[in-house]
Amino acid sequence: MTRGWTPAQLVLRGTIVAGVMAALVATGLRGVWPAWWLIVLVGGLAVAFALVPEAPMGTVATGLVLAWWGLAFRDGPHPQALLAAAGLLVAHVAAVLAGYGPRELPLDRMTVRLWVVRGAVVFLAAPAVFAVASLLRGQPEPVGIWVAGLAAALVTTVAAGLVLTESSREP
Amino acid sequence: MTRWRPTGGLRRCLAVGVLGLALAVALGDAVLVVLTAPFLLLGALALMHRPASSPTVTARLDHQWMHEGQGTRSRLLVSDLDGVEHVTRMATPAPYVATHPAHGRLGRLVVGGSGLPVLEVSPRRWGRRILGHEDVALTSRWAGFRWGPVPLVGSQLQVLPVRAPYDSRAEAPQPLGLVGAHRSRRIGSGSEFSGIRPFQAGDRLRRINWRVSLRTRHLHVVTARAEEDTGVLLVVDALADHGRSGGMGGTASSLDVTVRAGAALAEHHVRRGDRVSLRVIGPKRISEVGFGTGERHLRSLLGRLSMVGPGESRTFGRARPTFGVTGGTVVIVLSPMLSDAVATATATLVRRGLPVVVIDTLPGGLSLQVAEGTDPRVAGLAWRMRLLERDQVLARLASLGCPVVAWRGPGTVDDVMRRLARRAQLPQVRVP
Repeated sequence: MTRGWTPAQLVLRGTIVAGVMAALVATGLRGVWPAWWLIVLVGGLAVAFALVPEAPMGTVATGLVLAWWGLAFRDGPHPQALLAAAGLLVAHVAAVLAGYGPRELPLDRMTVRLWVVRGAVVFLAAPAVFAVASLLRGQPEPVGIWVAGLAAALVTTVAAGLVLTESSREP
Repeated sequence: MTRWRPTGGLRRCLAVGVLGLALAVALGDAVLVVLTAPFLLLGALALMHRPASSPTVTARLDHQWMHEGQGTRSRLLVSDLDGVEHVTRMATPAPYVATHPAHGRLGRLVVGGSGLPVLEVSPRRWGRRILGHEDVALTSRWAGFRWGPVPLVGSQLQVLPVRAPYDSRAEAPQPLGLVGAHRSRRIGSGSEFSGIRPFQAGDRLRRINWRVSLRTRHLHVVTARAEEDTGVLLVVDALADHGRSGGMGGTASSLDVTVRAGAALAEHHVRRGDRVSLRVIGPKRISEVGFGTGERHLRSLLGRLSMVGPGESRTFGRARPTFGVTGGTVVIVLSPMLSDAVATATATLVRRGLPVVVIDTLPGGLSLQVAEGTDPRVAGLAWRMRLLERDQVLARLASLGCPVVAWRGPGTVDDVMRRLARRAQLPQVRVP
């Protein structure tokens, strides 16, 4: 199955699986372990994600991890969330690198270095949000904060949808 | 039509971001925003760097004519690199063409409009080689959008036979031309001593031999043999290709040996100033290159040799072949001598009194290739019988006075040419 793969590609695919699984089981560090069937399901999707990085399986696997994190804790953000964010981001960056070409494509050192730097910079958003959430923890929620959040999500969805639709329609 | 399309990475970023925000709103849990924030940031950056260009991608070879074993580069030409960050090339392998990297897959970052991936190409066998088609994909900054993969048709490469090391010090048996490097039987102004004769009006004074003149009391002059060029006709048997070609450095088929030997002989004789002609007995017709000299003529000869392909001739063998050679022309037949028609044509040329040399191009240790459904024992027996017949043909040619030598590079024809030259100096009696 891995015939013709370069060693670097194998490492990338392994990183994808490891990143997603690490994000899933990171809740276990606080004693909340996911059910075995969820681990198997996400594991299968992660393997499919690693095999076909451009396919939507990666989105499904990541979405399941997010859902699990939303259901696992109800008492505010924990530091383990940073580990999960790092895992998901590492899996995503590895998938981006793997998606540049077929599985026989050797990795370009400059490209890897660029994306490692980008991943590190982008990851800073997670501790920043975590810090803000920790500061606001326990304080009364401003009126309409979640409505504003929902509106932001909707605006993002519509904007992204418009951009993607426009790019698909272009001759 | 090709256009910039969102990558799977961008779709994933946006989907995960929106899903995370929606779940955060629904569940009222800020941890999901922590997990989602990097994805949202990546998606936003990718959207911001959406290219507006319409690049055109083509591939170009640095050299389109080259010798087998030489290398060149296949470069990408992209008309508009604005917004392009990464270029991926995926070339499919082509027979007898080596690439570096061997799998033909390349991916590079494009920095400041340069750094496009270059594929190194080296043809391993003579002939017309068409590089495998390739797909090229361009990716925008932050891997948000992708152009292609754009399919590119493989470039064509005309591969001349390798310049095999070859040298010969033998002179032509019957040189008959103008100025050249071969000793002629005629008296002329060369440097090779021919004899001493009485002075005649018109003789140059510096040719007077004073010692003989004083002894005989009559003026005598030294005569020399003329130095002339010669015509060389190369007859290439392309009726079949026996054996399997492994390209440069690998096993050679009979046609490989034939074409490479022909190229080496042609180059050698053209460099010596001889007039060289080529006849290819091939599938369509007896293609030919007329007599000529010089570098341009050598390129024509090598070009024609590189276009040789094996196949039965529809016309050759039905009628007596006319090679258009005159007296004094050396005929070199390059053939595995497995065709009766070629053997007959060779014997005809020998009977015309032309100096003919057959270079046996059947590789030694040829492994038999048996067609599917054929009994290997029967095929082996048939092949052995065919080789016995071939030995008889070669023996008959030798008995006619046509030397047969196996191609072994430098000096292959030296000995037989010297023998032919000595034979040409002997008085001959022709039966009318």
